[in-house]
Amino acid sequence: MSILQTSNLKKTYGSGDAAVHALDGVSFSVDKGEFVAIVGTSGSGKSTLLHMLGGLDRPTSGDVEVDGQKLFSLKDDELTVFRRRKIGFVFQNYNLVPSLNVYENIVLPIQLDGNTPDAEYINSIVETLGLGSKLKNLASNLSGGQQQRVAIARALSTKPAIILADEPTGNLDSKTSMDVLKLLKMTSEKYSQTIVIITHDEQLAQMADRIVRIEDGRIVSQ
Amino acid sequence: MDMSKKCIRKLGIKSMKASKGRNIIAIIAIMLTAILFTTFFTILFSINASVEDANFRQIGTYSHGEFKALSQEQYDKIKDDPHIKEYGLRIIVGTSTEDPFNKEPVEISYCDRNQAKWMYLNPIEGSLPTEGTNEAATDTRVLELLGIKPEVGVEFTVPFVVDGINTSETFTLCGWWEYNEAAAVSHILVSHGYTEEIFAKLNTQGIDGITGKWNMGVMLDSSLHISSDMYSILANHGYEYGNGAPDNSISVGVNWGYTGAQLASSFDLSTALAIVVLLLLIFLTGFLIIYNVFQISVTGDIRLYGLLKTIGTSEKQIRYIIRIQAILLSLAGIPLGLLCGWVVGVRLTPAIIQQLNGIQASTISASPFIFIGAALVSLVTVFISCSKPGKTAAQVSPVEAVRYTEVTTSAKKLRDTHSGTSIPQMALANLGRNRSRTIITFISLSLAVVLLNLTFTFTSGFDMDKYLNTVVSDYVVADDSYFDIPAREWQPMEEQFIAQINQQNGVVDGGKIYGLTENNALDFVTVEYYRKGLSDTSSASAVNIWLQNCDKLNGLIGRETHLLGFDDFGLSKLTVLEGDLTKLNDSDKRYIAAVYRADDYGNPMMDTHWAKVGDTITIRHVEHWQYYDWFSGQPIANGAGNNAGYKKAAIYRDVEYEVAALVIVPHALGYRYYGPDPWVLSSEAFIEDTNTSSVMLYAFDTTDEANDEIGTLLKNQKEYGYESKTDLAESFYSLRDMFTALGGVLCVIIGFVGMLNFLNAILTGIFARKREFAVLQAIGMTGYQLKAMLVWEGLFQTLGSLLFSTVLCLITAPILKVALEAMFWFFSYKFSLTPVIIALPGFAILGTVLPLAAYHIVARKSIVDRLRER
Repeated sequence: MSILQTSNLKKTYGSGDAAVHALDGVSFSVDKGEFVAIVGTSGSGKSTLLHMLGGLDRPTSGDVEVDGQKLFSLKDDELTVFRRRKIGFVFQNYNLVPSLNVYENIVLPIQLDGNTPDAEYINSIVETLGLGSKLKNLASNLSGGQQQRVAIARALSTKPAIILADEPTGNLDSKTSMDVLKLLKMTSEKYSQTIVIITHDEQLAQMADRIVRIEDGRIVSQ
Repeated sequence: MDMSKKCIRKLGIKSMKASKGRNIIAIIAIMLTAILFTTFFTILFSINASVEDANFRQIGTYSHGEFKALSQEQYDKIKDDPHIKEYGLRIIVGTSTEDPFNKEPVEISYCDRNQAKWMYLNPIEGSLPTEGTNEAATDTRVLELLGIKPEVGVEFTVPFVVDGINTSETFTLCGWWEYNEAAAVSHILVSHGYTEEIFAKLNTQGIDGITGKWNMGVMLDSSLHISSDMYSILANHGYEYGNGAPDNSISVGVNWGYTGAQLASSFDLSTALAIVVLLLLIFLTGFLIIYNVFQISVTGDIRLYGLLKTIGTSEKQIRYIIRIQAILLSLAGIPLGLLCGWVVGVRLTPAIIQQLNGIQASTISASPFIFIGAALVSLVTVFISCSKPGKTAAQVSPVEAVRYTEVTTSAKKLRDTHSGTSIPQMALANLGRNRSRTIITFISLSLAVVLLNLTFTFTSGFDMDKYLNTVVSDYVVADDSYFDIPAREWQPMEEQFIAQINQQNGVVDGGKIYGLTENNALDFVTVEYYRKGLSDTSSASAVNIWLQNCDKLNGLIGRETHLLGFDDFGLSKLTVLEGDLTKLNDSDKRYIAAVYRADDYGNPMMDTHWAKVGDTITIRHVEHWQYYDWFSGQPIANGAGNNAGYKKAAIYRDVEYEVAALVIVPHALGYRYYGPDPWVLSSEAFIEDTNTSSVMLYAFDTTDEANDEIGTLLKNQKEYGYESKTDLAESFYSLRDMFTALGGVLCVIIGFVGMLNFLNAILTGIFARKREFAVLQAIGMTGYQLKAMLVWEGLFQTLGSLLFSTVLCLITAPILKVALEAMFWFFSYKFSLTPVIIALPGFAILGTVLPLAAYHIVARKSIVDRLRER
């Protein structure tokens, strides 16, 4: 069952002779519970694709469907609300709120939606990610690997339809990178969570269920 | 939703806590705004309260209204009406107008505690009269006029009239209060029982409809609709308003002193405009700084907002974060501002109220509306100021935010230069990178300079020579009433006092001005001229009736006129428009001068008189008037009472004069009200022709050394009032000082705001470019060059805004000249760049020192560290 689908997705910057096609007709789909890695060199268009998948940026043409909802038929504010309910993000530079502690960061998206966190589920994520002893720490006081684990926990907290991870290990050393990837893989299995990660590291990509290669804005293999 | 609000609030508070320095600047900014608003409102409310208080003192009470001439039964019925919050009772016994109370009368009455308090009759010493005694309380003026020492227990006797019956009582003094000058009436209060005794003794009560009747002063729930409340109180108890049938109609007095009733009348357009302009100026000042602080704060936190958007924070929620921060900062800033603003307002108010005519004491208002109003407008200012920054934060694109450094709004895509760049050019280009911030800094610095210039121009333009132009002698002495505004009937001066003045050392020259205490002179004008003079105030039919019943001479219409008698000293002070004044002293033939009026600027208004040089005119000097009944035309006894009828000269002398000159009489030497066109005679002719010799005033010059001595002489007597050149000069200075103080305070605060804005712009500009500077230094820019660039940036802003404001001043100078000279007749516009020159070194230092200090903080970290920083 497909939970994410793109059809002929195009993104063009500039116009005329100066036009750059960052995405040039990308069509692919991800099934529920799948762990997919999108691989490509820098400038291949993989970050642009991820932004489109997450509804952070609008395509020139084409659409993205997440959990049955066409993203770009939504208004900006509707898209924002959809994003906080259905899409979780993990960034290369973690993007935690430095003035909040670990727990507050994790439950932030839930609270933004006006809901009370499900304590049992949050506990389970926290334990799975080994953050139990750090809950009270300020995000800015953690190491890179710890910060990324908090970011993953935050992404999981809303039980999103899909988690998008943009170079989640880009700022980490290779051992920590592997740990983080293992954690992602494990949570994907444990919570049958759909995860799409972007990386340029072939070795890490091998851990995914499926690898999608992108070059010059086109999918070359999947 | 509750949960999300709580979460958003927490986010707002936490992200705010992270930047303490910025918060302090924001709090100071909000505080300054609140100070300005509070000061303004305090002054406004205090002026209002002072005007109100002066009105109440003049009216003689501050109760909301009065039900007049009630019977005891009526009083008992009305007093418990639910509309009435408090009531006070007064029973008038009689009045004394005999010497020594011939100038201002004394009323003898009973007042209960409330009424006494409301009528300013609260004893400062002793107490109100006790029932069952012959005690009385009165004011200091009565005691002084009776020659009685203010001591409880002293006995004093006052003759007075009750219902037309002369009587006299001896009272025992039980208390006294300060005489209320504004009311021009004194009071003696006795106990209620005592009033009954007096009425019983004289066997009279209430024949004149006032004496012995009960007056009830009331305080209602609100002063906003006094008259309608009072009418409905009457209606509730089956009474009518009015003074027709005495049984069921009651007359009502509404206290007009309450601003609710009188705000509209005293509120003219220019006052309203001035208030609006000032409020806008304060708002703009506040906006400039608060907007700047918030914009900078949002720029600093932009990554956070981008991140929040990425994880699903809506625009509304982000705007809410900014608003929460604004509210929290306001919670700290506004109360502080209210407090400081009120203190500043209290300090400034007396100086301003001193300049308002007819208000002796200033009342400082601490009305809650000052604080509520100031807090509200400050909050509104804060919200408006942070709405654009809030929008910036809310609309940040999540993708961009991660890379966001600062918006670079430049339409320029290319820099077309072959010669490389110089440091000043780089500095200039840097200022263009954040145009809105540069513009805000620019405007707020310029605003301070323009204001400084305005204050300077304003106060230095006050022209003492022009102001004192109307003063023609060092001193003018006359009966107190002569100086009153509006002028009242005056008593002639005694020759003895004039002689006493002339005996003083240092009196150089002086002259008496004679005037008529009663209108016993007629001149004759054409019917058309007569009609024209009355067309503004009277209907044509009324004028027709008067025309039938007045004195006539050869087809001309007799009109009451004023005559002035001048000796040589006085004549020398007149402005001769045409003709020869010396003829007035010709003993062979009667000559007269016609007085034309002049406007505030001294320009003669040639339509204010009809006589020309060489005309022969007739003045009818009347010895005795005969009065006639309006309807029957029959002669009646005298002119007293309400139905006086009209009068015609019965015994009179007509004297013909030739008009020798057309003159302007200085305001200081004439009758001080606009009456019929007056005439000037020589003193001799005046005394001979009018058969009176009433000295209206004595004007004289002194040597400077004698001023103190003469001032003391005049101050120490109560009989006469006076005006002196030195006192006028002092009032001129205090008027000028008031504007200096007000403008000064405004300049200081706005200047401070400008400085804060500048500091803010410099600091954030430098901190945001920490890494860029490191790069510049890495590629070979020396610290010295970098500092030079920053100083150039600073100087471009400070000196640029100075230049800008100078240009602004130059452009507005012609408009200001016209506007200010029209507003103040004693204003001489002088263009001056002194304030700019004064500001120049300050601005130069500011532009140099602040950037260097900010750089110093940045440079503490090594280049490598700064390069590594994200």
